Amino acid sequence: MGRHRLHLKRDELFRSEEHIERWLDGRAPGATISVGTLCDLAHAWWGDRLAEDWLPRTREENQAILERLGLTGEFWLLA
Amino acid sequence: MDPRDLRLRRLTYRLIVELGRAPTAAETAAAGAMAEAGVARGWQRLHDQHALVLDAETAAIRMANPFSAVPTPYRVLAGGRSWHANCAWDAFGTCAALHVDGRIETSCADCGDALHVAVVNRLPDDESRASIASFPRTGGGTTSSSPEAR
Repeated sequence: MGRHRLHLKRDELFRSEEHIERWLDGRAPGATISVGTLCDLAHAWWGDRLAEDWLPRTREENQAILERLGLTGEFWLLA
Repeated sequence: MDPRDLRLRRLTYRLIVELGRAPTAAETAAAGAMAEAGVARGWQRLHDQHALVLDAETAAIRMANPFSAVPTPYRVLAGGRSWHANCAWDAFGTCAALHVDGRIETSCADCGDALHVAVVNRLPDDESRASIASFPRTGGGTTSSSPEAR
């Protein structure tokens, strides 16, 4: 699959893994994470958004956030 | 990112929090003692740098992540206001950006049943812990990893 981008507008919440499988209906899965991990990711990613000294992060800085949360592997490689 | 654009971005986000919605170019110009045309040009530069997303037809703010300026299936009650987020990640991000607890109201993408998640002290409530977030393998949309130009 190679490197790709995460699609902000497309991640969805489901009741359980069973619901994801039914929703995929045979399509290739992406990545699934717990709501707890998603919440941690959101705080690491967006927590500085309103800071007075906010500066855009580099790809490497974004990648480091994912790695700190254990989000590693091909799927989580940022473009 | 140009210091001028950083200032405009900071002002725009401040107004989003103050108003509970995306400001118009006129409101932003008034708050920043700027010309409205200058705000519009600045927003276009920020759009080009992936720092916010403008509506293609009206040039109004459509997204200033994690906030959505238009209604979405992700409603967030936080900081005494109701917000919309662009996706599940942004819904949690709304609480994160505001540094407040909140409540996310959406539905299971499969069955459509209501999914409500309370976020308290940066953690989802126990009842919602069984819920799963799924990121698609492919598809269009705004990218999180598009680097905002430094």
